[in-house]
Amino acid sequence: MFHIRITKRQEPLSVGGSCLVLLSALILSLLLSGLLLFLRGTPPVDGIVTLFQGAFGSRWAIEDSILKAIPIFLCSLGVAIAFRLQIWNIGAEGQFALGAIGATWVALSFPQWPKIALLPAMVLAAAVAGGGWGMIPAILRQRLKTNEIIVTLMMNYIAILFLEYLVYGVWKDPTSFGFPMTPEFSEQAIVGKIGTTSINWGLAHCLILGVLVWGFFKFTRTGFEVKACGDNVRAARYAGLPYDRLVVLVMVLSGALAGWAGFLEASATVNRLQPSIMVGYGYTAIVVAWLARLHPLSIGIASFLLAGLRVGVENIQLDLQVPAAFGGIIEGLILLTVLAGGLFTHYRLVRGKK
Amino acid sequence: MEIITIIIPLLAAAVQSGTPILYATLGEIITEKSGVLNLGVEGAMIIGALAGFIVSRYTGSPVLGFFAAGIAGSFATSIHGVVCLWFQGNQVVSGLALTILGAGLANYLGTSYVGLSAPGFSPVAVPLLSSIPVLGPIFFKHDILVYISYCIPPVMCLFFTSTRFGLGLRAAGEYPAAATAAGLNVLAYRWFGILAGGFLMGLGGAYLSLAYTHLWTTNLTGGRGWIAVALVIFAFWRPGRAVLGAYLFGSVMALQLRLQALGTQLPSSILLMLPYVLTVFVLVMSSWRKKTNEEPAALGVNVEPAD
Amino acid sequence: MRLLKALIVAMLSLGFCTASFAAKEMKVGFVYVSPIGDAGYSYAHDVGRQAVEAMDGVTTSYVESVPEGPDSERVILNMARKGYDVIFATSFGYMDPMLKVAKQFPKVAFLHCSGFKMADNMSNYFGRIYQARYLSGIVAGSMTKSNVIGYAAAFPIPEVIRGINAFTLGAQSVNPDVTVRVVWTKTWYDPATEKEAAKSLLDVGADVIAQHQDSPGPQEAAQEKGVYSIGYNSDMSAFAPKSHMTAPVWNWGPYYTKVVEQVRKGTWKAESAWPGLKEGIVDLAPFGAMVPQNVQDKVNKEKADIIGGKKIFTGPIKGQKGAVKIAGGVAATDIELLGMTWFVKGVVGTTE
Repeated sequence: MFHIRITKRQEPLSVGGSCLVLLSALILSLLLSGLLLFLRGTPPVDGIVTLFQGAFGSRWAIEDSILKAIPIFLCSLGVAIAFRLQIWNIGAEGQFALGAIGATWVALSFPQWPKIALLPAMVLAAAVAGGGWGMIPAILRQRLKTNEIIVTLMMNYIAILFLEYLVYGVWKDPTSFGFPMTPEFSEQAIVGKIGTTSINWGLAHCLILGVLVWGFFKFTRTGFEVKACGDNVRAARYAGLPYDRLVVLVMVLSGALAGWAGFLEASATVNRLQPSIMVGYGYTAIVVAWLARLHPLSIGIASFLLAGLRVGVENIQLDLQVPAAFGGIIEGLILLTVLAGGLFTHYRLVRGKK
Repeated sequence: MEIITIIIPLLAAAVQSGTPILYATLGEIITEKSGVLNLGVEGAMIIGALAGFIVSRYTGSPVLGFFAAGIAGSFATSIHGVVCLWFQGNQVVSGLALTILGAGLANYLGTSYVGLSAPGFSPVAVPLLSSIPVLGPIFFKHDILVYISYCIPPVMCLFFTSTRFGLGLRAAGEYPAAATAAGLNVLAYRWFGILAGGFLMGLGGAYLSLAYTHLWTTNLTGGRGWIAVALVIFAFWRPGRAVLGAYLFGSVMALQLRLQALGTQLPSSILLMLPYVLTVFVLVMSSWRKKTNEEPAALGVNVEPAD
Repeated sequence: MRLLKALIVAMLSLGFCTASFAAKEMKVGFVYVSPIGDAGYSYAHDVGRQAVEAMDGVTTSYVESVPEGPDSERVILNMARKGYDVIFATSFGYMDPMLKVAKQFPKVAFLHCSGFKMADNMSNYFGRIYQARYLSGIVAGSMTKSNVIGYAAAFPIPEVIRGINAFTLGAQSVNPDVTVRVVWTKTWYDPATEKEAAKSLLDVGADVIAQHQDSPGPQEAAQEKGVYSIGYNSDMSAFAPKSHMTAPVWNWGPYYTKVVEQVRKGTWKAESAWPGLKEGIVDLAPFGAMVPQNVQDKVNKEKADIIGGKKIFTGPIKGQKGAVKIAGGVAATDIELLGMTWFVKGVVGTTE
């Protein structure tokens, strides 16, 4: 009788092998999604093709996907920094909300400032608000060993309700017919679009910040310390690395990046603050960060793909009337299969006689 | 208005709205005691809620629906088991994926059941006990699922402290290497933790679709699974404290609605924050006073396959 | 003779279908803010969509759960690009995005629900559900004994506030001592929370429960407590037969089919439409057996008056704190109604 055993690889899987595993995982998840379409009576191949066309099939589609990828990328870059240290920041959603609130406060308070002063001030306010929101769970963890997963999660609910409190109350636009939204930002407070495309300059922010984060881990001492602590906390502490301070640092950075995404979303895409800017980018970011194995470039690719998935799902709804929840199914399946595929990076299956 | 006429219904409501969270929290405790962190509670709950609703609707038997919900919950968490126990996937991420997948699946498969009703459980006052002043109306005028939930924590305590299997399960969560050396099959214990936990989470979901309301809609669980994850930590992994936590959360939920009904002038957003603020506060307070760490030592750490 | 006529019509239309309509079948798209699985607001619009789908030579489609803001603009834009002839967007926040798209596609008919902006090819429309709420208020005001009515409400936006006010005015018209207590859940479809909200109202002495949510959770709470209730969106009597007295209901079918027919014939013009009881867009669900005949008669008489042109929000109407908000003899304009953010006297609760 043949028996399959798992054995540890002597050296990690090659790049080609990794890609192969990733590809098989993606194909498997698409097959399973196709099966679900089939069960519902939708032709599966048509369904998947329609999905991809909607996501990447035309210039518009690609622009739309990039546009949607911007906030996901920034949030994801943020959570990836925390994940490097094995700090589970589930709170990008709340930090995003706080960032949007901070930016809006500046935009509404100083609408007449010139663009060159107002936009940086908004970024600063967003980063401080988001970073500060991220610092609270870090300090609680450092001082009291409070579990950061739960605190960040609860703080998401609080942040969203705080945002609602503001737009339903003190910040409500008097001309909005009572609907919960702030007045539209002044021209100076809006991040513009690139040329004739529908993509805003936030894309450039993403590129710069992505390079900075990459450089932080590659070249700075602190970046190295974060990685070292993340790999092995006990050993790093033994070596005298300031673990507790690093926890606070990564959470602040993480929150600041999510806050930056909130700023872009309020300024560039909605031009005001309203509750509907909260559409779960912060949670998608976690998925993205993990799929990309925390690497900035891969995060860029993964956020583009997942944003495309979100956009493509609208197409498959419109053409084939598949419920919106289908997007969640594919997302979940991709994540699970890729996660399971991770086994093959460190192990291999050996067939042998029992 | 007399204060007592407000307080008693408030506490009764706290028990009821705490019950689905209690089931899910107890489920997560079993799972975590075996060393597996499952953040997919929400996903397991919503799949259980849908399965319970569908089965009850087709068979006309809420009891069958209730069991089906448990089985569906186990099925959902078994995905987590496959990914983490067999494929060594990261438990945090796998749990999140389960949440996303579960909500997607339930909402996808449940579209055609929206706006329908299914037979469910109704309140039954317990003879004698329900006539005890104060305690009777608070604890003994509910549906049978609430009474079942009263029985689970003591059973779990006994299981953890006094049975061989329960001790083995805890060993798998505390010292998997030592447990393996002692000849225990750690993976089997962890599988049990995941499946039994999923069963309870599914029951928690069914409480929402078969007892609390008799309805199915998308996102029926509304974040209650996440609260359960938080309460496990609040409860120091003890079933008894989980009861306290679930009812405390339920009572704050019920309290904020009653404050509104009484005509308070506070904005509703601020009142709605209360349960979440309280959760953080309680978590902080309990970590403050607690010196020892009760978290299962190997929580979230996968057991590497033997070479 | 009639048979012959029918046959000719059938053959003609068949010929048309295969010849011209088949070549150009009309495409109608709908954008919803929530999943149609919410069993409420979007569901009601989707029932209207199904009426359009049943028309000959028309296909429909929809995208659900579309967040207001940039996502909605993309969805509407894609529908226009794909050659949809008529697009309905059914939430307030879609207004500006739709206006942007409408300017780029002058040949497509755009219809926006619950807003106020217009263009040459963009209508705005909404239903005067508050008229039906006023009528349901009369029922509630007649049936309450404690003079406290509970109202489980979703979000403090004008549509909901207007409904609470109309309901309260209706109740006060038959019972001046009525107070209406409001609890906000900040959810549209969380049956458990909404049921709990209703229970909290029952605990403070309410003996009739009304609601503006998308689930029948409040009805269940009322039935369990053995008190009466008023539903919303659609006839919810199946969920609580002993409790459900009536419900303000939506009936979008007639309006949607009318618009699509007009577009097909080329007679459609952008307008600001706010149809109500008269046009049959809103109505009351059938009365439950517990509603006495004299109350039913009173409601039917009021209904006839409203259809005949009676305006509900006619002064003097006082605000929550007693200040006159609408002066005597003056009727509130539609613009004032659209932006209503204050409660009338007799409502207990905040608008935040």
